[in-house]
Amino acid sequence: MKPTSLWLRAGIFTVATLAVALLGAWLLLGRGPLPIQTDLLAMLPATEQDPLAETAVERLAHANGDRMVLLVANADDDRAKSAARALGKALGSDKVFSSVLAELPPFDLQQFVAPYLAHRFSLLSDADRAALAQPDFDAAQVLARHLNEPFATAVGTSLQDDPFGWLQHWMDQQPWSRSALLPEDNLLTAHRDDRTYVMVTATLDGSSYDDSVQRRALATLARAERSITHDYPGTTLLRTGAVFYAAAARAGAEHDVHLVGWVSSIGIALLLLWAFRSPGPLLLAFLSTVVGVIAATTMTLLVFGKIYLLTLVFGAALLGEAVDYSIQYLTARANAGEHWQPRAGLRQVRMALLLALGTSLLGYALLGMVPFPALRQMACFAMSGMLAACVSVFWLLPALLQRPSKPLSPMLVRGALAMQDTIASFGNGRRGWAIALLLLLIAVPGWWQLRHDDDVHLLIAPPPALDAQELQIRTITGLGNGSQFYLVQGDSIEQTLQREETLEQRLQSMVRDGKLQGWIGLAGMVPSQQRQAADHALLAPLLSDPARMRKLLGDAGFRASAIDAYIAAWPGTTIDLQQWLGTPLATPFRHLWMGRNAHGYATLVLPQGQDDVAPLHAAATGLAGVQLVDKPASVSNLFGLYRGYASVWLLAALLLIVPVFGWRYGLRNAPRVLVPPVFGIGLTLAVLGYLGHPLTLFHWMAFMLVLGVGANYAVFLLEGEPHVAHRPGAMYASVLLSATTALLSFGLLALSSMPALRDFGLTLLLGIGCTALLVPASLPLRGGAR
Amino acid sequence: MRRLMTFLLCCALSYGANFAAHAADADPARLKNVLEGLASHTAVRAGFTQTRSNPALAQPQVSHGTLLFVLGHGMLWQTEQPYQETVALTGSDAARLDAQGKLQPIRDARGVSQVSQMLQSLLAGKPDDVLRQFDVQTGGSTDKWTLHFTPKQSRIARVLASIKLNGDAFLEGIRIDMHDGSATDIRFADTRDAGAITAAEKSALGLP
Repeated sequence: MKPTSLWLRAGIFTVATLAVALLGAWLLLGRGPLPIQTDLLAMLPATEQDPLAETAVERLAHANGDRMVLLVANADDDRAKSAARALGKALGSDKVFSSVLAELPPFDLQQFVAPYLAHRFSLLSDADRAALAQPDFDAAQVLARHLNEPFATAVGTSLQDDPFGWLQHWMDQQPWSRSALLPEDNLLTAHRDDRTYVMVTATLDGSSYDDSVQRRALATLARAERSITHDYPGTTLLRTGAVFYAAAARAGAEHDVHLVGWVSSIGIALLLLWAFRSPGPLLLAFLSTVVGVIAATTMTLLVFGKIYLLTLVFGAALLGEAVDYSIQYLTARANAGEHWQPRAGLRQVRMALLLALGTSLLGYALLGMVPFPALRQMACFAMSGMLAACVSVFWLLPALLQRPSKPLSPMLVRGALAMQDTIASFGNGRRGWAIALLLLLIAVPGWWQLRHDDDVHLLIAPPPALDAQELQIRTITGLGNGSQFYLVQGDSIEQTLQREETLEQRLQSMVRDGKLQGWIGLAGMVPSQQRQAADHALLAPLLSDPARMRKLLGDAGFRASAIDAYIAAWPGTTIDLQQWLGTPLATPFRHLWMGRNAHGYATLVLPQGQDDVAPLHAAATGLAGVQLVDKPASVSNLFGLYRGYASVWLLAALLLIVPVFGWRYGLRNAPRVLVPPVFGIGLTLAVLGYLGHPLTLFHWMAFMLVLGVGANYAVFLLEGEPHVAHRPGAMYASVLLSATTALLSFGLLALSSMPALRDFGLTLLLGIGCTALLVPASLPLRGGAR
Repeated sequence: MRRLMTFLLCCALSYGANFAAHAADADPARLKNVLEGLASHTAVRAGFTQTRSNPALAQPQVSHGTLLFVLGHGMLWQTEQPYQETVALTGSDAARLDAQGKLQPIRDARGVSQVSQMLQSLLAGKPDDVLRQFDVQTGGSTDKWTLHFTPKQSRIARVLASIKLNGDAFLEGIRIDMHDGSATDIRFADTRDAGAITAAEKSALGLP
């Protein structure tokens, strides 16, 4: 009844797999857009102690998230403007954009001034505030200077509304007055280096991370770009916006998945076809792998909801490791020849597979302990995939592999035997020690040259062309970068604004010293009530005495009607933040106000023109409720921290494996089994050193796998050798098969567009390669070979 | 918005040698002559009288002073009446000379610094900037020329009526008329090649 129970198990397994597959398919396709996360920021770990800071990072990143910012450039002014109009029209005709701004709506220059007239006695520029506070302040002198300024003509405030120019000075300080872009022919235009740049912004009708929105918007833009560059020769288009970064990341990942997935699948297929000399084993090996991938995808979606691009690419590479289990079972069958019994074969490989699975799970579990969403997901994906692939070998494959098969390709076995004998002969006795010493001597200078790198660009590496365009747009438009900013918190709106003002005093002195270009913060646009009251109090001595003011203005030549109107406007009202936030002028700055939360209120201040964080940090130290949020630096710090941990973990994992192997192979032999992976890791480190490749967290994570996979090979060889005494070299041949499949898929990761995966791939390529070559050294010398 | 204004004004001042080729309404030969004539003086001194009239003022405001303009370096605008003040406009910076003769940078002076930058390119400048913003008409003769600028941009045209420049070998005057009835009139007198530049002037302008 043996076959029946085998079939029963296989049936149960098949049903379970189908159920998992259905669940996975529903999770993947049945819930609206594809749950693939193209927002690279989501992969970054939470680094900030203050959850509000994390929220702020997200908010800033997404403030422009659903918007394309485009600059149309041409050396010819008319062409640049016509091209921008044409671009605006072309984009506006597609519903994928909810709004496109090229031509400005009609507005009056005076429109900016009117809302502020009522508050004119509460708003002073820094320079005027300082001047008014001087004991020798001479109002008549200030008035005369304002009236006789060289060249100046009052286009902003009128002389009647603002005789001293105080409101005008305050307005001049506002971000909208400092914009590098000026309205020209109803277009926002900048002139630089003999070129005209015209800004066009387009807001998406949906998320930048939505696949269909992304594709449609980019296709429309590409069409429009082709047509304007054709119709207006010499036109170039600069672009920035989350949608471009998301699309580039997706395209990079797709390219990687195709490259790694297809090339390794085809490579593995050809290899297995050659080794087993029939298509059956090939199909079964892939079946087992597919089961693993289905389980991994479903589990990942269940746990995380969305799949990161990093996981997608890594998943494609995992094929090469998951296929190992079935390869071991298939080689056992091939080696058994006519005596093949599915159950006996299973017993024969059971220990090897379980040990191998255990070490792999251990390796990935350590990976999953790092608090990076991306690494956790990779670990979850790998663990569920490996487990399912391994279980499929125990439950599904025996039923399908009841008949004996051809032996392994004799050429492979002969080659493996020759290699095994050579390496084993070098790896034993005094010669072994000499060679170990020699390898050590070669490795040490390499280790000496090892350097570290913890940059955030390991995880997020946008195409340089996109970064360059963003930088150019920032330079031309004067928009800030948003990777470092201040988070200011307070119990009330008033306290928050006051704290921001304290910070801005320090920023102002940095600007004076040339250490900062400027900043954008709400307190500059809507001062605290305290400051407004203080400004008002500075003006009170002048304005609350109508007779004195009348004489002052009268002496300067003002008409009586103008004087009366000015005096009647005193004391005016203060400006209120909540009200101001509702005005159209506040629209570009509204995202800076974080509003109310459990602890009070918060607002953001964006420094501009300083890439060195040390002075930015210095400006915030000692200020209550003010912190500099520097996400890239926080992530880099975390990378560095965990890189340090990872080296300790590697050692810990090694020490964990020793008792397991000691129990199975005896304490005296255990170190011998560990020699291949340990030497593999050591030599890989040396090669990385010689290559001048700085070590990252991801190298250490890969070493964890080298240890796991490398130990597997020693286990496979030691466990399998007794069963193939009649066919020397066959066991090492199967190990080589496993190693080659792993090298094919992981090695291809070294060509990935993601630096983290590149490091991962290169380390695995070198580490697994070395280990597979060294593995025969862990075998005791075969009697006959010498 | 004053920044915009000064920007436009300076655009008007920064006409250059190839200006004529672009100005449809202008007499190309005359413009060329005017610009070449102006370009032959690398450093100029002049006395100025600035008269500003405004509907809010019963009488116009009048200020007097002297001006030193050094091509490629900047200018010193020295008001003597009704108060004493020297403003140095160099490259992208604007600074006030205090009583001790030290330069005090004027903050929020982007508008003013653009003035100086535009004046720097008075002779070698970019006519395109001016022609984007203004229609230009020439008048008079080479010895007694006028240039009349009217804004093209409707937003500006609602506020600014016109800018008129006149002169002979040197620039003699600038007149700016606004739609609200205010006007600024700057007359230059005793315009001459600068001759020796004092150490104080050199240091204020950053000259070697």
